[in-house]
Amino acid sequence: MDYRCETRGDRFLVSISGVLTFDDHEKFRQVVAEIADCAPATVELSLATTRMIDSAGIGMLLLANDKAGRCGKSLRLSGVTGHVAKVIELSKIDQLIPVD
Amino acid sequence: MGGDPQSSTSRCVDDDAVILVVDDLRSSRLLIGSVLNAAGFTNLLFASDGIEAVERLESEPVDMILLDIVMPRMDGFEVCRQARGRLGLNIPILIQSGLQDADQRASAFDAGASDIVSKPIHAHELVSRVRLHLERRRMIDSLQTYQRRMEDELRAAESMQVSLLKSDADVAAIAQPRGAALTTFYQASNQLGGDLWQVFEIDASRFGLFMVDLSGHGVAAAINAFRVHMLAEARRRDRGDPGKWLAALNDDLCQMLSIGHFATAFYGVVDVAGGRLDYAAAGAPPPILLEAGGEWRPLDGSGLILGCREGVTYDTHSARLAVGDHVLLYSDALYENFDVPEESLEPHDMAALAREVLTSATGADFHQALINRVFADEMAQRRDDLTLMLLEVTGDV
Repeated sequence: MDYRCETRGDRFLVSISGVLTFDDHEKFRQVVAEIADCAPATVELSLATTRMIDSAGIGMLLLANDKAGRCGKSLRLSGVTGHVAKVIELSKIDQLIPVD
Repeated sequence: MGGDPQSSTSRCVDDDAVILVVDDLRSSRLLIGSVLNAAGFTNLLFASDGIEAVERLESEPVDMILLDIVMPRMDGFEVCRQARGRLGLNIPILIQSGLQDADQRASAFDAGASDIVSKPIHAHELVSRVRLHLERRRMIDSLQTYQRRMEDELRAAESMQVSLLKSDADVAAIAQPRGAALTTFYQASNQLGGDLWQVFEIDASRFGLFMVDLSGHGVAAAINAFRVHMLAEARRRDRGDPGKWLAALNDDLCQMLSIGHFATAFYGVVDVAGGRLDYAAAGAPPPILLEAGGEWRPLDGSGLILGCREGVTYDTHSARLAVGDHVLLYSDALYENFDVPEESLEPHDMAALAREVLTSATGADFHQALINRVFADEMAQRRDDLTLMLLEVTGDV
């Protein structure tokens, strides 16, 4: 997994690329820290270039969402396609995190 | 550079490492012995040539070898090769060599030396290298001891996890009188995992199938699987109503699991006499119903994952079951390919594979045959637990 962060107007965009799995736990901590530290109140987590996600990866999204909420920010997921879209559809996490 | 052995001895404590000093010159043995003694190494053994050195290594435990190269009968290179090869020793071996002889120094490493100490002996360097390599060896030993202990504990935990699962005979005793044949397969990944299956008697004609996968891997997932097992065993109410039962389990798990942890699950109630399978799911891989007539369809595995939000309701779905139908339940390890995401299997792939495998293997043999068919390298360590359940509607009661 790799990630890139940028502030675009009034939202903070985090793009996750590659495969998001159990092995990315440490790296994803940095993503969560970036979300906590960013200035905008809206955070968009783009999964457009995320090819695959496992259950630990879903757990990380839930952690990021929890952190954003605690910091008074709202998190959204965007660009879900392919395997990621299937996992989200199956797990219904759109009931927990808004998906564009 | 200071060559005074006192500068080393002044900050040392006695070290009980057994060091074998091999040198054909008595004066060299005495010099090395006195340098090491002064540095606090008192367990010294001496050998005056290679043959004697090998005999010593064969007869008593040694923590380190200090080895001369040129000796009568057997040289240092050969001692080194025998120590590494035939004797299988991984202790540090320091070879004495002149600084100017580059070829000889390279050959020493080829023969298996850990390091080289310059000859003539430089007391401070010798003691520093001896300490360095003993320290390194001790660190490796302690890491290996720790790793072995962890592996033992993980194996013990894994066998406890496996012991939660019902035996084939217990499963058959529930399914067979209710008109079904049910077989299961569980294989833990190299780490502990969080997969779990259970089978419950409900009444004279129905039984429940439960399959759950706790998120993540390792000890935390396994402990959570233990807790889910206890919760599921204890929750006898509403076992005949999958939606209600799963909703109650979800509420329990919301209390139990920390943020970011969750479970996916499938719970089905098999009613052969009534010709139906009622079920509810929470983000489970869609089970596959292979109809006797040749058609197939995926069951609906979707539903909010367990342990994230209290008060969620789960729909109870219903599928018709007829004699000769099969239902395959599986964990995500069967179809997800994280190395080559594009090669992950789709439900229709699995339906086709299961159908193909069923022509040659049924019952308990089905699972291994399906695994062999799906995974090219059956010895490869899977990154996740693999659980399979195959239900066959026999209708024989």
